[in-house]
Amino acid sequence: MVHNLIKHQASAREYALSSAVKGIVPPDDFLGFGLGLRTDHFQDVLSTKPDIDWFEVVSENFMVDGGKPKHYLHAIRELYPMVMHGVSLSIGSTDPLNMQYLRQLKVLVNELQPQWISDHLCWTGVNQTNSHDLLPLPYNEEALNHVCDRVDQVQNFLGRPILLENLSSYITYKESEMSEWEFFNKVARQSGCNILLDINNIYVSARNHEFKPQDYLEGIDKDKVKQFHLAGHTDYGNYVIDTHDHPVADPVWALYKQALERFGWVSTMIERDDNIPPLAELLAEVDIARNIAYDTLGQLERLKQREIVT
Amino acid sequence: MDKLPLASLQQKMINYLVDDDPIVTTTIMEQIKDHGSITREVRLHIYKNAYQARLKETIENDHEILGFYLGDDLFDQMVLGYLNAYPSDNTSLRHFADKLPLFLANYAPFKDHPIISELAHFERLLMVAFDAADAERFTRNLLANIPPEQWPDLVFRFHPSVQLARFQYNSVETWQALKQEQAPEPAKEQHSDWLLWRNNDRLTQFRSMPEQEYNLINMILNGASFTALCDFLLEEVSEEQASQVALNYLLKWIDDGILIKRVPIQK
Repeated sequence: MVHNLIKHQASAREYALSSAVKGIVPPDDFLGFGLGLRTDHFQDVLSTKPDIDWFEVVSENFMVDGGKPKHYLHAIRELYPMVMHGVSLSIGSTDPLNMQYLRQLKVLVNELQPQWISDHLCWTGVNQTNSHDLLPLPYNEEALNHVCDRVDQVQNFLGRPILLENLSSYITYKESEMSEWEFFNKVARQSGCNILLDINNIYVSARNHEFKPQDYLEGIDKDKVKQFHLAGHTDYGNYVIDTHDHPVADPVWALYKQALERFGWVSTMIERDDNIPPLAELLAEVDIARNIAYDTLGQLERLKQREIVT
Repeated sequence: MDKLPLASLQQKMINYLVDDDPIVTTTIMEQIKDHGSITREVRLHIYKNAYQARLKETIENDHEILGFYLGDDLFDQMVLGYLNAYPSDNTSLRHFADKLPLFLANYAPFKDHPIISELAHFERLLMVAFDAADAERFTRNLLANIPPEQWPDLVFRFHPSVQLARFQYNSVETWQALKQEQAPEPAKEQHSDWLLWRNNDRLTQFRSMPEQEYNLINMILNGASFTALCDFLLEEVSEEQASQVALNYLLKWIDDGILIKRVPIQK
């Protein structure tokens, strides 16, 4: 009677192309258009039940034993599909994998039953010192084999493939022998993980390292990308800092359209980490993303909620 | 030139973030490509700045009232001192400032004003109460249904959010005044005991308590039975009063929501 335990948790809606429109049919794991869930919006989400397809939660924020935020999180999980997004896996660190962290992650996975789990293609600390930042790796064979080995361990531990996300970066190490996208794509192919593409981060890194963002998109395998992040940044003229505290900028919307043209229907969300505006403002940004996708790939109709176990 | 192993490169980068020594900066600078219109110094500094800003913001969020008490200059001095003394060794930012009360009690100029460490300690206890585990609460009905013969050996249990604090200064009164945007009284020595917990509405709450109550709660946390509580009270009240005084405490704790439902241990 397992289904009794999970039937109250919302699962993804089914999408179908509107009969009037020709286009590409979305894949089965397409979640639609979502938003990064922030504690500021908990009450609003529960009281207004906004018409949004799914939420992403930051795993570390809920690796606590109890209390009000966790209570709200579970109430929202009853209503919406969720994915989990982490910042502390440190997949590229040369420290041993943090098993305590992985155990806590697994507990939260069991509680929330997310559609998938993601973290970043980066390292955050070494030798017991944590930077709490997403630091870039050198893109070479040693780092590639190291990361793939650890992705393998993590996926075995969690019992499912993970998604890794590209970060915004400001430095290139002399030890790098290939582009970030070549490295990223090799990691995905070799380790079996999937890809979360942050369109803003591609734009930020392209500006800072003076490459063409289209080259990045072209260098990533079509079937590996399962999620897009859209976010804002701060432009300082000769460089750009990823702040995730502004609305999505026009060049990033343009790049999003190009990403849709290459990858087709990919679950898309707005990720705001700071300067959190009222919920309605972010929902309006989600609508912009949805409309760009419909203009690019065709109109979709949302069907009824799908049962997880039928 | 031989390729630098990944572990060495990461160590150099971390050293740069936590250490302002120019030699450490030069060491990582040598590993960074010089390209485009931005200098390597600017590129690296973006990381250094983000590292410091993120950890400062964490302390600001955790210790809002302490920030009001210290003012901007002393707060910045505290942040830099703490970052140097205790670089983060934890995965979660939630625990980054756990050692802040310890730092403030041991480093000048903060250690000369013990109320500062006490304020930090109080704020961290509030955080512990805020996200401690949930547990179903004990009720007056459950208490009434306990058979009389079981009473002597009962060991009650507290909600996981319950925290005890003992202060030597008027720290909590100072915290409350600042929270209400009022000027606090000058710091003064003043012994007081406090109870902090998360109530039935999931709100964090605190109150002062008499030393007798503090001692009783501590005894229960150490496994004392109801009989042991009564024996302890006999030192202060008459034999006829002892069990009633103990019962009154139990009822108060039930109404506060600090006792949990889990059946008390039978010895």
